[in-house]
Amino acid sequence: MSEIEKIRVELTVNGKHHVLYVSPCKTLLEVLREDLNLIGTKRGCDDSNCGVCTVLVNGQAIKSCTMLIPLANGCDITTIEGLEREGGLHPLQQAFIDRFAVQCGYCTPAMILTAKAILDENPNASEEEIRDGLHGNLCRCTGYTKIMEAILDVRDGKYKESCGEV
Amino acid sequence: MANLIGKSEKRIDGYDKVTGKGLYASDYYNQFPHMAYIKAFRSPYAHAKIKKIDYTKAKALPGVIYILTGYEDVRWDDFPKMAIIAKDEVLWAGQAIALIAAETEEIAEDAVKLIDCEFEVLPFVSDYYEAIKPDPVSVIDPEYETRAQGFQDRPADRATNRVSPNIVGAYYMHTGDLEQGFKEADIIMEDEFSVGKKTASPLEPATAICKYEPDGGLTMISNGAGVHGVIKEHICRVLGMPESKVRVIQPYMGGSFGSRLSPYVELQTALMAMRIKRNVSYRFTRKEVFTAGPSNWSCTTKVKMGAKNDGTIIAHDYYLCEEIGACVNNTFFSGRLSSSGAAPCYRFPNMRMDTFAVATNTVPAAEYRGLGCPEAEWGIEIMVNRLAEKLKMSPVDIRLKNIIDPGERDIYGEVITSIGLKKCLLGVNEVIKVEEKPVQDGSVWKRGKGCAVAGKQNTPLGRSEAKVWYNSDGTIQLFISCDENGMGATTAMGQICANEFGVDLKDVKVIKGDTLCTPYDNYSASSRTTYNTGNAVMIACADCINKLKTEVARVYGLNPKNVEIKGKKAILKGTYVQEVDIPPLFKHWTMFTQGNWGLQQYSPVVGYGVYCPAPIHQWGPDGKSDRVWNWFQYSACAVEVAVNEETGVVKVVKIASSADTGNPINPEIVKSQIQGGVHMAIGFTTMEEHLYDEKGAQSNANFSDYRLPTIGEMPTNENVFALINPDPLPDGPYGAKGMAESITVPVGPAIEEAIYQAVGVRLNYYPMTAERVLAAIKEKKAREAAK
Amino acid sequence: MRFEKYFEPASIKECCELLVEYGKDAKLLAGGTDLVPKMKAEVLAPKAVISLHKIPGLETYKLCDKGVTIGALMPLRKLSLCEDLNKWPALKAAAGHVSSMQIRNQATLGGNACNASPSADAVEGLMVYDAIVNIAGPNGDREVEIADFFKGPGKTDLKEGEFVVSFFVPAPEEGTGAAYRKFAIRGDTDISIVGAGARLLLKDGKIADARITLASVAPTPMRAVKTEEFLIGKTPDEETAKAAGKIARDEAKPISDPRASAWYRKDIVEVEVYHAILDAAAAVK
Repeated sequence: MSEIEKIRVELTVNGKHHVLYVSPCKTLLEVLREDLNLIGTKRGCDDSNCGVCTVLVNGQAIKSCTMLIPLANGCDITTIEGLEREGGLHPLQQAFIDRFAVQCGYCTPAMILTAKAILDENPNASEEEIRDGLHGNLCRCTGYTKIMEAILDVRDGKYKESCGEV
Repeated sequence: MANLIGKSEKRIDGYDKVTGKGLYASDYYNQFPHMAYIKAFRSPYAHAKIKKIDYTKAKALPGVIYILTGYEDVRWDDFPKMAIIAKDEVLWAGQAIALIAAETEEIAEDAVKLIDCEFEVLPFVSDYYEAIKPDPVSVIDPEYETRAQGFQDRPADRATNRVSPNIVGAYYMHTGDLEQGFKEADIIMEDEFSVGKKTASPLEPATAICKYEPDGGLTMISNGAGVHGVIKEHICRVLGMPESKVRVIQPYMGGSFGSRLSPYVELQTALMAMRIKRNVSYRFTRKEVFTAGPSNWSCTTKVKMGAKNDGTIIAHDYYLCEEIGACVNNTFFSGRLSSSGAAPCYRFPNMRMDTFAVATNTVPAAEYRGLGCPEAEWGIEIMVNRLAEKLKMSPVDIRLKNIIDPGERDIYGEVITSIGLKKCLLGVNEVIKVEEKPVQDGSVWKRGKGCAVAGKQNTPLGRSEAKVWYNSDGTIQLFISCDENGMGATTAMGQICANEFGVDLKDVKVIKGDTLCTPYDNYSASSRTTYNTGNAVMIACADCINKLKTEVARVYGLNPKNVEIKGKKAILKGTYVQEVDIPPLFKHWTMFTQGNWGLQQYSPVVGYGVYCPAPIHQWGPDGKSDRVWNWFQYSACAVEVAVNEETGVVKVVKIASSADTGNPINPEIVKSQIQGGVHMAIGFTTMEEHLYDEKGAQSNANFSDYRLPTIGEMPTNENVFALINPDPLPDGPYGAKGMAESITVPVGPAIEEAIYQAVGVRLNYYPMTAERVLAAIKEKKAREAAK
Repeated sequence: MRFEKYFEPASIKECCELLVEYGKDAKLLAGGTDLVPKMKAEVLAPKAVISLHKIPGLETYKLCDKGVTIGALMPLRKLSLCEDLNKWPALKAAAGHVSSMQIRNQATLGGNACNASPSADAVEGLMVYDAIVNIAGPNGDREVEIADFFKGPGKTDLKEGEFVVSFFVPAPEEGTGAAYRKFAIRGDTDISIVGAGARLLLKDGKIADARITLASVAPTPMRAVKTEEFLIGKTPDEETAKAAGKIARDEAKPISDPRASAWYRKDIVEVEVYHAILDAAAAVK
């Protein structure tokens, strides 16, 4: 098989602009992990079923193992590395710690980003709407109860003072 | 500093994990230079002879470095079954025939496709019934086979009195007088039960990264369990490596649930690294996790129970067969592991237990959370519910009547020192109220309630060690090698250590899982970590504190027993000061203090602890032994379900689960284990199972068709009740014991009972899929129509 | 997963030319949620991947008196939440039932149709409303009715050089109610075991026109024509819906696969068609 020509891709990842020359056969997940060394985004099933590769593309949650890199060209991407601010953790990050919503942690970055997408779009999302939004994110450890507790705490404004607005 | 035990301290790995900064084995995948990548050529057939195999084209592909086959000169017999590369016969679809190392993963993939292999397809067995039927297909050519080790001779199938070539080991246990028991029984019920095959499916696929060191040694970074007791031991023993040249590091693990206790990727990767003298990376695809990593062992059980009218169960005739996949020789299976689930909860004064194991042409079985107990106790708990119904008793009362009390002996003859099971059962019943009928809403969703209990033994598994440094600035470092699969063990160990020194958890730095610096531990299995490693940590802390007391005492000219350590302070009795800061007692090194044999800055005071439970005593012909298990963990579960009578879909709408954890070290971490455990069990008892195609290959080896539970299968938060009902364990650290496995066990039988209460059908098989439930509903309707 | 060529044609014409040049060796990239996993699993191994994303106008929709034209690249989630499309609740519902939020953000209506999977949910929404597929090709544009678009599993009516640019969905008549029901074990994240769509036009309390569509029970998305015929002239009540469910059950030709057995799918068709008819009748305003 002949080697494919690389293409030019511009990405803004966590606010930082990148110009890359990569194979268009790569997925966004591979570029994030291999080219940008952003290993907080995980690979689980590699066929879009488990959700651990979730990142935000222009604010929308997508499964990066299934997005070919050319489709991300010109997009604004947020990964878990982009959530921590100077003042401290993002409220969802702090809530996941405070509520014991983390066990092995492999699904955690994606779970937090998916929750962020849900609350960014609808800050008053109901429990049912949040559950619906998390349907594509597998967690094998926690049974989701504590994950929901954490997200509901953030929705209900428990972190407004300590971490600022979501 | 207040007591830290029983306090829900925040997890020490929380920050690393919520920020994505914590490294997992897969994060090292391409982090080292001069890396080679492995891809496997695997059998598409469940059973076949390799007639001809030609690697010429694969070898010729530029970038291919080495092709590893079953003809390598290594002791394959010592490999875990999943890691054995086939020679001329493949025993399951997914078994490796060759491993190819190449400059890139893509080249290795291409090379796999260039292997030219001709198979002679052989008949195969894919389940228990096939394996034991008259004149069955033999899973392995008998000339390859060796005898099971350490167990009694081949048993005959009790029903047919026939010996199958596929049976690999047996265990018998007879107590009391079974015949007499049945004679005295007012009611006798019996049935046959079985369960499906499942894969633990941690979200991080099995991954091993092996650095080839310039001195010919290896550094292994993997998400496998047991840096010392599993991975290092196997590499040294099987590959003949000197211990001094093997280092194993366990970064954060993306889950295990028992499935990473066998070092399959690790051994293959290490072998490849030794052959090509280069760094090697190997990561499983999700399909390989299913077809080349272990499954659980499914069990078929026949349960016959006799009870008195008052609910006392007086006779139990129990038969169990483990279906263990292509585990053909030198296996540790014999029915013994699952048999431990046959009688942990109840008295059963007269019991016959015949258990054995049978091989099939499916992926080799290995540990899965619960070690066969969900499979073994499934039929027993259902039978207890059925007896209750027949006797018009509450399912709670019949259990209270038969559950062992603390201090009693179980049927093996061991004294049960800790059992909080009755409290657990009463706790979950208080929430679900199984004796009260659920409210029906008139829709097609019929409600029902059910409950069940469970026990799970803790196997005495070798040794745990811990090392503690008390640094000269008063900070503490704890070195341990237990696994952190995600369960929170390192936080619990940190809490124990902090508590011993009387400091905050943040003052203890836990260093774990690196054979270069953390001391020996076998592995985290059988829910042993809190108990085993926890005891070692306490001993190490005591050792360190004693040394520190001695040093402080010398400074003040005291007997060490007059010194008490409280974090950074020492409390002194009988001298001119009552309290002193410890860090200033560590002297700075100068020309004039050299030769100070006492406390010196930057030289920590070191404590060491070793803990080994007493080993198992080999059981006699009656199966009895005065020493088998360390202790039992117990749990009870009660559920309310809704069954759609049109579609057979079962939804757990409310669940209460209670764990007897002994005294919990960190209650919130325990609760999160309870919630995760019931979720996992809802998955494997209602949806998950391996399906096979006509070649005997798994046809749903992916996350789309193998249905793991999502958030949708977990009841909403206000309907999830995680309870802790401890009975302190006398020899546990602060009375704690392990708990993570028993949680999964009673969920299935509780759901089964609730389905029965809802729609009147009984299920003897799990997963209780919508299809199976609907089939049972239709069958019932047809029966009623025929009347 | 590797291919040899990647193209981003900027016009319909350019795209058609590329499709002619590469023929069967080419695959079009819309959202990629189906294409990428299939390429990884080597179910598909195209030499050339041609992205549609530089062709202007494919992501939008345009309303007119007669209905709406929806671009092939409209993401399913956007579609499912689009207020302008409230006239077509069954299409919105069907699009909203495709997999998870993440997948719906990325997957497109055109992609869902052109995979020609019998289990595609969004396609059912198009089938319910008798949508027209607008096809561009080297020999000009053409239209094909959605029900005729599917020729088998993974096979469409598209000829060499052709691709789908949009779908025209006619506005339903006054008195119409429509619904789509997906049946899957774990909910939307699963591939449908059965999908059932229904559109009823009621006149004077009787069914004047009916569309019953089924997913996952035949080699292609299908219309249950006999069920539709049965419904005409009937009152949309429980009894009618029950009887219709039984007819649809006979029309369905499912196979057994790892997701469900054939008998189970048939049972579910009966149940879901019954509910879909009642849901559609209740939706008539």
